[in-house]
Amino acid sequence: MTDEVVPYRVDPISEPEAVKEIRALLATCDLSYEATVEVFVVLRRGRRTVACAGLDKNIVKCAAIDPALQGESLSLPLMTEIAHLAHERGHTHLFLYTKPDNVDRFRACGFYPVVEVPGVVTFMENTPIGVRGYCASLERLRQPGAVIGAIVMNANPFTYGHRHLVEYAVANCDHLHLFVVAEDTSFFSYRDRYAMVKAGVSDLPRLTLHPGSEYMVSRATFSSYFFKEKNAAADSFTAIDLLVFRNFIAPALRVTRRFVGTEPFCKTTNKYNRDMMLWLRRPESPFPPIEVVEIPRTTHGEIPISASEVRSLLAAERFSEIGRLVPPFTLAMLRDKHRPGRTPSQIPDPPTWVENALSKKGPEPYEDS
Amino acid sequence: MKIVREALAGTLESSDLMVRIAPRDQGLELVLQSEVIHQFGTQIEAVARDTLEKLGIDAAQVIIEDKGALDCVIRARLQTVVRRAVDDWTADWSVLA
Repeated sequence: MTDEVVPYRVDPISEPEAVKEIRALLATCDLSYEATVEVFVVLRRGRRTVACAGLDKNIVKCAAIDPALQGESLSLPLMTEIAHLAHERGHTHLFLYTKPDNVDRFRACGFYPVVEVPGVVTFMENTPIGVRGYCASLERLRQPGAVIGAIVMNANPFTYGHRHLVEYAVANCDHLHLFVVAEDTSFFSYRDRYAMVKAGVSDLPRLTLHPGSEYMVSRATFSSYFFKEKNAAADSFTAIDLLVFRNFIAPALRVTRRFVGTEPFCKTTNKYNRDMMLWLRRPESPFPPIEVVEIPRTTHGEIPISASEVRSLLAAERFSEIGRLVPPFTLAMLRDKHRPGRTPSQIPDPPTWVENALSKKGPEPYEDS
Repeated sequence: MKIVREALAGTLESSDLMVRIAPRDQGLELVLQSEVIHQFGTQIEAVARDTLEKLGIDAAQVIIEDKGALDCVIRARLQTVVRRAVDDWTADWSVLA
């Protein structure tokens, strides 16, 4: 048996024996195996698995080193291999979560802390200029005013409920920054959601529409929203997203007030709204507190308007009912895109009217003139 | 030469460096992290800029994670990462040595 440590790549689907060893190693480090990992890197000494780390797209998960061998700097070859593997798979910007005690180890591997949920988990990225570079670009879009508002919405799809929230926010701040969640895991693609929001708010003054980013309700900052994961850290995921907002995004744009609609249907979103009250306002922070304004959902008759309700009506092709819940542009898009039995991924390229709505790319201030 | 894609080269092992390069509209943005940045930061950056200049790279974002690499290693890793990030390699090897 040799002392040399050799990296291997493990496909968890085709290599159950290797997965057993990974599970055993994770257990010795008090970590749980995550089924969302698509590929692992393991280090073996002889036939023994001494370290592992996995990739769930651009998120590094399940990183562990045999406790008996900690101190041998196995993290360096492990994370080197992960970096190259991720790069081959098209992911150059990597994120990870770790216990705050492990931050220095990952720092030595080229990861940089973004935010920490004190004592629980630290969110890191593999570039020293990631979130800071993003905020530098946001700073250029800063607007004057004492009360600067922000909304982050998925708009899946954009309804009169979203419209009501935006109208309310615009009326209650000097300038509103509106972000559309960029993650492409929702029923409607990011492209379509952005087009719907853009059309739905184009007449409103004092509003800047922003594309979403990895730092806002993304797989990286808020994986439980998209995957409904159940683990100890899941509770902290809302905190990570909210701390990134408070510590980076809000200061970059001088946001003082965040607007949100009440969420009667989705548990995860409801928890997110409640956690917002805590993390955006808690006084134990070097960053200024952000006022959270939660407004009741618009109702249609007795029932609050919700995007999920629209999606179920769409599945049943009840367009006349949908028309009462969504603006004309959204309705036109739904009619145009929807064919029975089709999933969004099979929907063909958007027609020209969508192209026209999207012809101007990027953030685009709607000036009050 | 024009950087057309992101690329990665090197390792995080001692005496090596990991370098990432990405396209940029204009100008060089060089971000250096090193365990020996206080003693050798200026020297490492000078070697990196010189190597990129000899390769004819004037627009790129370059992130270097240095682990105490010698100058020759820094040059080699930068040449490799550029080789991976361009479509047409036109650099003159004789001036790179």
